[in-house]
Amino acid sequence: MKKILFSVLLSAPLWVLGQGFQVNLQGQKQIGMAGAGSALALDEASVFYNPGAVTFLEKNSVSAGVNPLLFKSAFKQSGSNITENVKNKIAPPFEFYAVWGPKSNKWKLGLGVYSPFGGLVDWGDNWSGKYALTSLNLKAIYFQPTLSIKITDRIGIGAGFVYNHGDVNLQRALPVNYPDGRSGHVTLDGTGKGYGWNAGLYIKTLSNISFALVHKSKVITKLDGGTADFTVPQSLAGSFPPGNTFSAELPLPATTSLGVGIPLSKSTVLAFDASWVQWHIYKDLSFDYATNTPALVDTKSARNYHDGSSFKLGINHQASEKLALRAGVGYAFSPVQDGYVTPEAPDADRYILSAGLGYAPTRHFEVNASFFFEDVKSRKQKNIETGLDGTFKTLVYAPGISLTYKW
Amino acid sequence: MKRYILNSFVAAIILFAAACKPEIETPAGTTAGQANFSKYIAVGNSLTSGFADGGLYLEGQKVAYPNLIAAKMASVGGGAFTSPFFTDEHSNGSGYLTLSALVNGTPTLTQVTDKLAYRDAAKHLDKYSGEIQNLGIPGMRVDLSFDPSLTFSAANPYFERLLTDAQVGKTNYFQFIQGRNHTFFSLWLGNNDVLGYATNGAVTVTGDPTTVLTDKVTFSSLYANLLNALTAGGQKGIVATIPDVTAIPYFNTVKPSLLLAAARAANPAAQAVFIQTGTGAVRAATDEDLIRLPFQSAGLFGQGAIPYGLHPLNPIENKWVLDKDEVIKVKDYVNSYNSSIKSLATSKGLAIADTYSYFNQVASIDGINVQGITLKAAFISGGAFSLDGIHLTPRGNAVIANVFIDAINAKYGSTVPSVDITQYRGVKFPDK
Repeated sequence: MKKILFSVLLSAPLWVLGQGFQVNLQGQKQIGMAGAGSALALDEASVFYNPGAVTFLEKNSVSAGVNPLLFKSAFKQSGSNITENVKNKIAPPFEFYAVWGPKSNKWKLGLGVYSPFGGLVDWGDNWSGKYALTSLNLKAIYFQPTLSIKITDRIGIGAGFVYNHGDVNLQRALPVNYPDGRSGHVTLDGTGKGYGWNAGLYIKTLSNISFALVHKSKVITKLDGGTADFTVPQSLAGSFPPGNTFSAELPLPATTSLGVGIPLSKSTVLAFDASWVQWHIYKDLSFDYATNTPALVDTKSARNYHDGSSFKLGINHQASEKLALRAGVGYAFSPVQDGYVTPEAPDADRYILSAGLGYAPTRHFEVNASFFFEDVKSRKQKNIETGLDGTFKTLVYAPGISLTYKW
Repeated sequence: MKRYILNSFVAAIILFAAACKPEIETPAGTTAGQANFSKYIAVGNSLTSGFADGGLYLEGQKVAYPNLIAAKMASVGGGAFTSPFFTDEHSNGSGYLTLSALVNGTPTLTQVTDKLAYRDAAKHLDKYSGEIQNLGIPGMRVDLSFDPSLTFSAANPYFERLLTDAQVGKTNYFQFIQGRNHTFFSLWLGNNDVLGYATNGAVTVTGDPTTVLTDKVTFSSLYANLLNALTAGGQKGIVATIPDVTAIPYFNTVKPSLLLAAARAANPAAQAVFIQTGTGAVRAATDEDLIRLPFQSAGLFGQGAIPYGLHPLNPIENKWVLDKDEVIKVKDYVNSYNSSIKSLATSKGLAIADTYSYFNQVASIDGINVQGITLKAAFISGGAFSLDGIHLTPRGNAVIANVFIDAINAKYGSTVPSVDITQYRGVKFPDK
């Protein structure tokens, strides 16, 4: 059975991104609730969702999960009757959390490793937008050590330091042709790093309604010495010198979330999260080449993102001592303005639907699974910079599973 | 056991989702609107025939804009579209230019000499018989379509190859295009009525009708005759305006300022580039004076005891130059022809592909951005014009096909799908 699953994973399509490049897959329980849950001390994923709630977790725990994401995007050039689809690729966002603290003490330590931003789109080398982009593989992996402190029995605060390891591989075709008619190609590949923080406040009122205020800072990720590999006809090698490098900067935005948790009964809780994603810092995507030529100048492509936002409502129902059921709905507003939609992030406003279940066979062991679906609205666009003109439509499917050990 | 259930649950979800592709519904390719594309004919000159790189050859013929349009018409009731293709054995047709080297930005152009389609020493081309719908003939003009002497059908090898021996010298283009039972037509003709004059440096050679500048009134009345014939059965169709011939790379690559800079590199004392104008006057050239592209490889500049082009006593001859007054004259004729074309087409209720406006955008400093490609009018690097600096690359043909398709759809309410221009190349660069 495991082998079958593995082979299915390898042959299945995949991938990423939330609003812009945001990936909303950081904890199996919260995913099952559409990504709501900052105001709930649900589990060790609070390290991400709200460091202030971590200290209210009853047990110490470690968990690891994966959410293979199927990013199915399609494009139809304006006036065309041909629909083009992204290739099927696998790049599962994963998450790892650990929470530890002396029992019945006022503080807990946490560690989270997760990927809040990313993108893997591969349109193939010969699609109608190939001169804008053929593929993008972007991964941001955040490492976040965290301290959470109970100020009172009902108020917790927490903060974590964020180190980001970023990888980017961006490819496109160049509109210069070889004698056999094929196009040139460029691959930009680099690794970068950035720093930030994540802090949260958790308040549980006397009525047991809980509130959360969380701010995750922006993380400016700098790439230096990335390789810029140009494949062009030999007669143009002087214009696109081999062995070139580039530097670039990818600003990952801050997110401020307000959360509410409402217990409906002893076994059922409702969670609502409103998030404000401060994408306005993503003004442009610039590449600074180490060696410039008249044909190869540094590029500065306007992105001019607006701030994005999302609203998520989830429910968690403890059906029995061992079984929990979850569901959620949400809506997110795209940060991408008209004229700036690109094939690397064919973004639009989107609906979110999710479901999940948890099973705890023993006191120490827990399995959680989720299914996350996003319907990104169809968007007809003409990109201001490239002139790429057509309609994008994207559906996102993300099943996920995690294992937790508690003590 | 629970794990297995979960695993199979996840696997099932992935399989399910993999099958659920997003759908994009558009009307493209669903209706011919008020038009009937079942038999499309394309009337025109070299641009219509697929002429490129200074020659007519199979690769260019296959991507001629009418052929690209016809392929897209197929989804909305378009029928077969036949063209007088050269055979694979003679695929290089008349021969054409290739870019054989590019060193420090200096191109070397080489003539292809194999697989030619000449059937005799007099350079007659292989005959083509059978149904033809791409009726484009390189060198065809509005005035010569009505050639009363009927000799152009023998003198023009591209026309001659499409005729039976009995027809050669006994017909003209106006007769040739009629009686073809078409349901839809395109007409892009008239470029050579001014281009032939301009590319000869605004010099009309006595006895050479291809260097004549067609009179404006004559143009208008003959163009009306063409339209009357093509719409005799009530057919719908599209006409195209004539691009500003002074904006093409043929006239904008060899600039006086560049010649002077080259001369000064060899001899810092060089004062100016001297030209003989259309009036016979000799003066220093500015970049408002346009030098023809072939001057670059003519081997004349700076030669002789009195260096050619660098001294008032040995100026660049009139035939190489479209001086600024001639530029004004040529532009005036293009504008006049275009206003005739537009008003005649409008009165007939035909679609108009305004290639004049489109090429002006291509020729602007920033060019035009289409599907991730920046198209400009620059020689070689611009991507739209082939190596003769006049005719289009496959990419240029694809772009123009879309200009036609957009105009057809707008006029007739049809949804002919657009051409994916990224599937078509620009200039081929040597890989050495």
